[in-house]
Amino acid sequence: MTLPRWLPPLLFLLAIAAAAWRAPAPAAPEFSRPPSAAADRAPASFTAAMLPTAAPSAHAATLAELPDGRLAAAWFAGTREGAADVAVWFATLSADGWSTPQAIATREGTAEATLTHVRKVGNPVLYAEGGRLHLWFVSVAVGGWAGSALNHSASGDGGRTWAPPVRLQTSPFLNISTLVRAPPLPLADGGLGLPAYHEFIAKHGEWLRFSADGRIVDKVRMALDRRALQPAVAALDERHALAILRDGGPAPGRIRSATSDDGGRRWTAADALPLPNPNASVALLRLRGGRLLIAGNGASNRNELLLWISDDAGKNWRPAPTVESVADAEAEFSYPALLQARDGRIHLAYTWRRQGIKHAVFNEAWLDGGTP
Amino acid sequence: MSAIALYGFLAHGIIFGAFVAALPLGGRRRMLALAAIPIALATGIASFMHGVVGTPSLTLLILAVWQLIAIKPSPLTYRPALALLSFAMPFYAMALGLGPLDPYAPGYQPLPLLVAILPLAALLWWRRLDGWLLILAIDLAGYASGLFANLWDALFDPLLVFVALAVVVRHHARRVPNDG
Repeated sequence: MTLPRWLPPLLFLLAIAAAAWRAPAPAAPEFSRPPSAAADRAPASFTAAMLPTAAPSAHAATLAELPDGRLAAAWFAGTREGAADVAVWFATLSADGWSTPQAIATREGTAEATLTHVRKVGNPVLYAEGGRLHLWFVSVAVGGWAGSALNHSASGDGGRTWAPPVRLQTSPFLNISTLVRAPPLPLADGGLGLPAYHEFIAKHGEWLRFSADGRIVDKVRMALDRRALQPAVAALDERHALAILRDGGPAPGRIRSATSDDGGRRWTAADALPLPNPNASVALLRLRGGRLLIAGNGASNRNELLLWISDDAGKNWRPAPTVESVADAEAEFSYPALLQARDGRIHLAYTWRRQGIKHAVFNEAWLDGGTP
Repeated sequence: MSAIALYGFLAHGIIFGAFVAALPLGGRRRMLALAAIPIALATGIASFMHGVVGTPSLTLLILAVWQLIAIKPSPLTYRPALALLSFAMPFYAMALGLGPLDPYAPGYQPLPLLVAILPLAALLWWRRLDGWLLILAIDLAGYASGLFANLWDALFDPLLVFVALAVVVRHHARRVPNDG
């Protein structure tokens, strides 16, 4: 059978017209204006407690505040990192304390929903957007974490039930090596900007832009050398943002940084911060008064969990009170997550000796040296 | 379960069948290839391929169907395979971090790419490569359907590039005795 000469080009023109109609052409991105409020004047306070145990080994906590004011936490836990029984666990904090952890993403459930082979699941990120609670988490088919693919699920009832996860298309090569660790930022157009990173062969930060309907509409590489990963981002205004990254190079490391002055369209490498980083995850939070807060580890190991504050949009940093510090170099207090609730209190969740997740609550007066 | 998950799973079943069809199995080759599709879907072969390789491109799926039906010889001959290899190798190297540019990113807002495809389509039409022009049209229609977030994913994938590499290697392997 021979096709008429005009038919293939006609079909092509129809298809390319449809593709052009479908192709997103979003406006230049802008960050949502960061909320601002007077600094909290409450007396200094600090409390800390372990979250309920879900499994022998726990890591990589993430936090979100639900519309009803409850705090939500997710982390991965199992017999050990990377084991087949590792799941993403979820719990909420109300006046009655922490709820019993529920597994919200498992290896088997992810494999069933995405119709793919899944060997393990890992790093989760929670984000509350109105009444919708987002969950991104990584999954691996073969190999180590560098082979991760990114999955997304969402809950419309505060985390009681979750939609089946969808594997996102973020890489052309086997759709591997897109990982997440830090929460997204809201964009002015209703979309989100999600800090992500790549660690197959080279390590670099990435920025995934989502439209308001959840479609990926851009992917930007953070222009650092090949050893920076796990970006955490804070918007300074509608156009400017600071990203801090884990130093994946040889010790002694420092917290790496990148900046954007166009709403996240481009990210430019900036000088490393004068803060140590022993190749470990860091968290960044813009406080409502405009100050920036970093949580991270000390110079050599993960046996200290430290805080630093900047009063001038990241130009200068000073230490805040120490959260954890022990002499045992093998002890691990790592992978911090920060969140400032609507009541002004600051929540910090972190890996505690890999045995569980610890949750600390404090306020700005405590950060400034006040005694509880 | 999402549409892209279902597409990827079913497509890998068909692709596995096409690989079986390429084996020297004699007169029962096509029947065995068709039987391999449900086997791949039921035994986890397709989900394993889906997990490891990712979502296959529409180009690969069409070539797999072409291989299964075998009405005409596959359009993936030496020159298209060499052209694909020449494009894909640096593309993947840059996408994985070699150099500052990520060529994959423009596929999320592909209007400039669509403009760039127009002269390629004109060339295919002028050279009477109707098969490739139709494949390109189906790829674009697949992107327009919303199945693919990134245009590049509809056009090609690593498994297709691997097949192209096999075509090129086989071409040169067959030429060696003649050249000698």
